[in-house]
Amino acid sequence: MPLEISISVQAEGFDPGAEYNLLRSENYVDGATAMFVGNVRDFSPAESGEQQSVAVLELEHYPGMAESALTDIARQAAQRWPLGRVRIVHRYGPLAAGDEIVFVGATSAHRQAALDACAFIMDFLKSRAPFWKKEFAKGSEEGDWVQARNSDEEALKKW
Amino acid sequence: MINVLFFASLREQLGCEGLRAEATGITDIAGLRTSLAAKGSKWQAALASDQLQVALNQKLSSMDAAVKDGDEVAFFPPVTGG
Repeated sequence: MPLEISISVQAEGFDPGAEYNLLRSENYVDGATAMFVGNVRDFSPAESGEQQSVAVLELEHYPGMAESALTDIARQAAQRWPLGRVRIVHRYGPLAAGDEIVFVGATSAHRQAALDACAFIMDFLKSRAPFWKKEFAKGSEEGDWVQARNSDEEALKKW
Repeated sequence: MINVLFFASLREQLGCEGLRAEATGITDIAGLRTSLAAKGSKWQAALASDQLQVALNQKLSSMDAAVKDGDEVAFFPPVTGG
């Protein structure tokens, strides 16, 4: 099917099942649908020191640029693989453990294209889309900004 | 004027979400960064990070990019979304 890219940057939650239905709606040519959902954990995997429990995750974003950066990443994926529908949803604002943060879905005639496109989009999203996470321990008003990981930047090299 | 924005930990360090900077005499982002750092020790410290990222008109950019009147320049730490 002709390429359709859909991007949402939103405070509200989303329903992964409903997103799947939108990817599939009247799409009879793409036999493959790959999806990724990222969720909030209730701990921070400290690289050194003790693991911290996290009660609330606050996501800051750069309005305008967040949408355009995600659109650009989706377009790059569509240039590399034959994709039908590409959908990215990224939330901002306060989130609780278990909440969905991000959804990436891609349809294609070929499963490897759909799977690779999702992985590519997530890798670039993590290092190129303007979102920042701040973690709050239970009962704490003083949050900690999550530090970027070198492994995320390294992950781009495989593409 | 150049519309300057700050995000995340940088915004908190500066206690400032953004400002309008005089474009006269500024040719590139590095020059803008230098003039902002001259606002005081807090600004100098926060903008000195070699991890500092920059976007020009909402696209990731680099310190040597040219800027002109009317541009939007955002400074921020490495992103951590997803």
